[in-house]
Amino acid sequence: MPFKLLLRNLLAHPVRSVLTAGSVTVAVFLLCVLDAANRGLDTAVATASSSRLWVQSAVSLFVSLPASYESKITTVPGVDWLVRFQWFGGIYQDPSNFFAQFGVDAEKWVKSYPEVEFTQGTLADWQRARTNCIIGEDLAARFGWKIGDHVPLIGTIFPRTDGATWDFTIAAKYRSKSVNVDQSTMFFHFDYLREGLEQHAVQGPQGVGVFLTQLRGDAAPDAVIAGIEQTYENGPQRVRATKEAEFQRQFVTMLGSVPTLIASIGGGVLFAIFFAVLNTMLMAGRERTRDIGILKALGFRNSTISALLLVESLLLCLSGGLVGAGLAKMAERPLWSIVNSMIPGFSIYDSILLQGILLAATLGVLAGALPSLRASRLAPVTALRLDV
Amino acid sequence: MVTAIEVHKATKTYHRGGETLVVLDALDLSMDGGAFYALMGPSGSGKTTLLNLIGGLDHADAGNVVVGGTDLSTLDGGQLAQWRAANVGFVFQGFNLLPVLTARENVELPLLLAPLSKQKRRAQAEHALELVGLQDRMDHKPRELSGGQEQRVAIARAFATDPQVILADEPTGDLDRATATQVLELLQRLNRELHKTILMVTHDGEAAMFADKVIHLDKGKLGRIDDNRKAAAAGHTSRN
Repeated sequence: MPFKLLLRNLLAHPVRSVLTAGSVTVAVFLLCVLDAANRGLDTAVATASSSRLWVQSAVSLFVSLPASYESKITTVPGVDWLVRFQWFGGIYQDPSNFFAQFGVDAEKWVKSYPEVEFTQGTLADWQRARTNCIIGEDLAARFGWKIGDHVPLIGTIFPRTDGATWDFTIAAKYRSKSVNVDQSTMFFHFDYLREGLEQHAVQGPQGVGVFLTQLRGDAAPDAVIAGIEQTYENGPQRVRATKEAEFQRQFVTMLGSVPTLIASIGGGVLFAIFFAVLNTMLMAGRERTRDIGILKALGFRNSTISALLLVESLLLCLSGGLVGAGLAKMAERPLWSIVNSMIPGFSIYDSILLQGILLAATLGVLAGALPSLRASRLAPVTALRLDV
Repeated sequence: MVTAIEVHKATKTYHRGGETLVVLDALDLSMDGGAFYALMGPSGSGKTTLLNLIGGLDHADAGNVVVGGTDLSTLDGGQLAQWRAANVGFVFQGFNLLPVLTARENVELPLLLAPLSKQKRRAQAEHALELVGLQDRMDHKPRELSGGQEQRVAIARAFATDPQVILADEPTGDLDRATATQVLELLQRLNRELHKTILMVTHDGEAAMFADKVIHLDKGKLGRIDDNRKAAAAGHTSRN
């Protein structure tokens, strides 16, 4: 194999080579990021705890349950305790500053999430005042919040009747050892919300959004689910109990065809780039028709000449793929900070990078196959006669 | 002199638009080893086709071509390629150098097919370039050379592998008269010094005068063979 010729051919049209490799770079970068997003959605499901159930209205996740359900569900065999969870949906200064906020029962929430650990402050600090809250490390980093900072939130689901903002004080920070709990959420005292509603200082739905149901160690989740659902089989409001994995999955399902769309976009990008690279390689092959004839006249075998074009295409795409994978790895952290509240499991694994690089290599081989086949079939006399 | 090339009843036809064109018509020809031949004839007389058959770039439809004792009709594509690499050097009208390689690399290219070390390959390429007087242009790419220099690089490439036969297809067709003469003198000198059999297709009567013998083709058949050496000797005798 005349490697010098191979390299010289690769560099003969530097702009074209860079643009072609660049298009593969973009494709591999996008594929890695999109695949990481898709896998991230699945990771949250896969890492869900098996000792936690979620109880919600059978009608919809957006319909609250009566607060009185708590005491009755607690009596279902296998249930250890319940944690009230309420989606708050407040706005910090501007809707673009979106982050999740939940009203919870602090002590039981901490007990239910052994994967969460305090990095600053303690449970006692959080419990010291009703307006105190705990925030994830990533949320703190995003807004530069420190312990003691005040966070004013505009209530959207729960607006205050006086038009004022809700005021929260940061008492603690947490990080999570598992991707199913993201580090961009604020948790505050459920009772702070409930009191406001009871005092009519706040408008909004009464009751509890969902109950996190902690199982006893020996409890069979399916039996507990059946027990909870049977309790309210005849109303007043039917409930739906699910394992945490199932609960997480419904958020993925709520995204509807988004994962499919993501995969389709990735596939579409790959196809478009394939045709671009194929076009480049066909052009390169045609431009070199005379060179192919010369090599054949000099005694180079068809297989060597085919390999020259094939390896050139492979190197072009592989270099683009390596750069794309490298860029994706470099962009992992910044991208994660943007999407982790929605996709906490977002991570560009080595397997994703390897897959991207392999796809780039496959693209190179496929795009090089056609001109390479043409070159091998070309008779030396024909190749020398053609003036391309 | 040993016979280097034998052509027996070689026939080659082309089909174009339903028409059959007989380019070589049962041609018989024999060429001595170490001689310099010019191949002349009107356009379409089969000169380049014959050159391609002798060079193993194409197969005859009928008959056979034997070069250095090898019947080319018995070789398949891969074997022909291997045979070409070891036995034939080509010089083309359009020089046909690879534009991305330097003069040295172009000459070194056919040597990649020989079992030579990198150093030996390089030394052999440099020697070939020295033979054609381009020792100071080794690292120049074809676009940095004049037409005459490009053709000399092509000649160096053809001689580099030390083949039995050099086939030149209109090697001076793209050159001015002075440069063409230099190239022809070079071919003549290399033929005499290295004793290679050279077959050169040309339209140019003056170019043909550099050869020992001139083969005339007409409509795919052998016309006549002129012996320039005998003619020159006779002219010399009559002048004396």
